[in-house]
Amino acid sequence: MALQPARFYVDDRPEEGVFRVHRDVYHSPELFELEMKYIFERTWNFLTLESQIPKANDYITTFIGRTPVVVTRDAKGQLHGFLNACRHKGATVCRLEKGNAKFHVCLYHGWAYDPTGKNVSIKQREVADYPAAFDADNHDLIPLGKLDSYRGLVFGSLSPDVPPLLDHLGDLKFFIDLHMDQGPNGMEAIPGRVAYTYRGNWKMQLENGQDPYHVDTAHGSFMAISERRRKGQGNVAAPQLDWQKRNEVQIGAYEFPYGHTSVWHDVAEPERRPTFATIEEIKTRVGAVHAEWMLKQRNAVFFPNLQIADQIVPILRTFRPISAGVTELRSMVLGPIGESDDLRATRLRQFEDFVNPGGYATPDDITVFADCQVGFGATGVDFLQGYSRGLGVMEQGANEEAREVGLHPLTSVKGHRTQNTELGTHAPFREWVRLMEAGAAGKKAYE
Amino acid sequence: MTTAVELIAAGTAVLSREAMYLDERRWDEWVALFPTDCEFWVPTYTSEGTLTKNPKTELSLMYFRGRGGLEDRVVRIRSGRAPAAIPLPRTTHIVSNILPLAPPEPTIVRLRSSWACHAYFPLMNENHTFFGRAEYELSLRDGQWLIAKKKTILENDRIPFPIDVYCL
Ligand code: FES
Ligand SMILES: [Fe+2]
Repeated sequence: MALQPARFYVDDRPEEGVFRVHRDVYHSPELFELEMKYIFERTWNFLTLESQIPKANDYITTFIGRTPVVVTRDAKGQLHGFLNACRHKGATVCRLEKGNAKFHVCLYHGWAYDPTGKNVSIKQREVADYPAAFDADNHDLIPLGKLDSYRGLVFGSLSPDVPPLLDHLGDLKFFIDLHMDQGPNGMEAIPGRVAYTYRGNWKMQLENGQDPYHVDTAHGSFMAISERRRKGQGNVAAPQLDWQKRNEVQIGAYEFPYGHTSVWHDVAEPERRPTFATIEEIKTRVGAVHAEWMLKQRNAVFFPNLQIADQIVPILRTFRPISAGVTELRSMVLGPIGESDDLRATRLRQFEDFVNPGGYATPDDITVFADCQVGFGATGVDFLQGYSRGLGVMEQGANEEAREVGLHPLTSVKGHRTQNTELGTHAPFREWVRLMEAGAAGKKAYE
Repeated sequence: MTTAVELIAAGTAVLSREAMYLDERRWDEWVALFPTDCEFWVPTYTSEGTLTKNPKTELSLMYFRGRGGLEDRVVRIRSGRAPAAIPLPRTTHIVSNILPLAPPEPTIVRLRSSWACHAYFPLMNENHTFFGRAEYELSLRDGQWLIAKKKTILENDRIPFPIDVYCL
C-alpha cells in the first residue's frame, strides 16, 4: 500500500470510543524509515545509567535508533554524549560495549579524541599537505543535540530541539523514583547482561508491557509451574506470584503526554517481592503511599525506547529497532546498593526465571511477536482491534489513585484485574502520529 | 581398581547420553542424569570478554541449585501451552574435545567439553547453531555416574531465538 498520512494509520476517534491501529505500522519498511527519522532521531532516548560509567574516562556505547552513540565521563566527572563515528572516514571510534580510556584512538587511520570529544591527534598531520579549508574545519566528535540525566538515568537526543528533560519526563519521574528509591543507598545495575533479538517490530515489545491481557494465554505454561512452586516443587529459589490470586486485584493505566504511559496492578502477595524485605525502611524514607506503589506491579513506557518495569523486580528494558521486523532487547536488573547476597540471589533468580530469553515469559512473548509479524502479511486485515479494553470506564485526567500521589495523566482507567485494560497503548500511538506528522510537514518535533 | 582411562570413558559416556536424551526428547532420562542436589549454571558475559563469576551476585542466563529447576523446564515443554515450544525445535548436539579438568578420582570426574547445538525452528523455517563449552563435575552415586555440576558457556550470546535447556 502506498504511504498514507500518519493520521490514517491510527484510527483515533475518542468521542466514538474508537481506537484502532493499522497493521502497516508494524510491518512497513517505509514507515520504519520515517520512524527512525521523525521519532528516534528527533526526541529524547534513554541511553544508560550513570553508574555504568562511574569513573573518570569511563565510556559506554549504545544506539539511538540506528545511530551509534558513545557516552563518556571526562576527567572532571562531567558526562558527554557523541555520535560514535570518526570524523575522518566514519568508523566507530569506540568499538567495545564499555571501557575506560584517556584517549579514543580510531583503529582505521589513528585519529584520536579525548573524552570531551576533542580531536587530539590527526596522524601525520604535519606532512599531509592539507589545504587551508581542512585546517579551518572542526575535527571533533559530533556531540549529541542534548544530554541530561535524572536520578542516574542518562538520556540523549540527536536533535537539540527537544523540551528540557525534566519537562519531557513529566510524571514518569514518579515511576523512575519508585525504582531508584528502593535502596537506602541508591540502586545499581547488577553485573551481567542478556541481549536478544526477536522477529517483530519494536512497538510489539513496547505494547506488550502495557498488555496484561496476554499473560494467562501466552504464558499459560507458567500456570503449571506456579502450581508446582506453590507445592514447594521445582525452582523454589525463584518465588513467583500466585497466578490465581493475581487475578483478584485491581488494575489501572494512565496516558501521559509525549507518548509515555504506564500500567499498574496491585499485588496479592507483596511478601514475594524482594522489596518487601526492606519495606519498613523504605516507608521511613518515602512514606507509606509511595512504598505501597513500589510493591504494585508497574510497567511504565518512556517513549520511544525504554520500559521502566517492576513485575517482580525492578528492571530497565531498552528496545533497539533493527528493521521493521527485527528488534534487539536488553535489560538491566536493578538492586539496592549494599543489598545482602541472599536477597540479591533471590532477585536474580526471579528475574532469570521469568524475564530471561530462556525463562518462562520472554520466549513466549517473542514467539507470539513473530507470529504477529507473519500475520501482518494478511492484507485483508487492516485495522487491528487490540486497543479498547477498559475504554468504557476511562476517565479524563487523574483518577483517585493518581491524585493521591500527585500524578496528572491525560486519561485514567482502572478496574478488576481481568478487565486487562489496553489504554496503555494509546499514548505511544498518539505521540507516534504527532511526531510523524510534524516530520512529514517539515515542522519541528516540539513547538 | 578403575583406571583413569576408564573413569574418563565413563564420564564421556554421560556427556554423550545427555546430548542424545535432549535430541531424542527423552526428558525423563535426561533429568535422571542429574542428582536432586545438582547445580546447573549458564553464566552471562558482562561485556565482550568477561563472564560473570558468582551466580549469587551476578546475572546468569540460567541458574538452578537443585534438579527442580530442570524438572520445571520439562513440565513447561510438556504443558502444550508454551508458544515457544509449539512446535518444538529439532536439535542435534555435537559434543567434542572432552578432556579432564583434573585427574579423575574413583567417585568424581571433572571434564570439559566443546559443544554445538544445531537447532531448527520449524515455525520460522530457520536454523541456528548455539555453541560454547561446558565444565562438568560427574559424581558416582549408587553405581551411576550423574552430573553433579554443569557450567555451560554460551559463546554466541546475542540470542536470536527463544532458548531452552535443549538449545544448550
Ligand atoms: S576512519 Fe577514523 S581515522 Fe580514518
Ligand atoms: Fe509477556
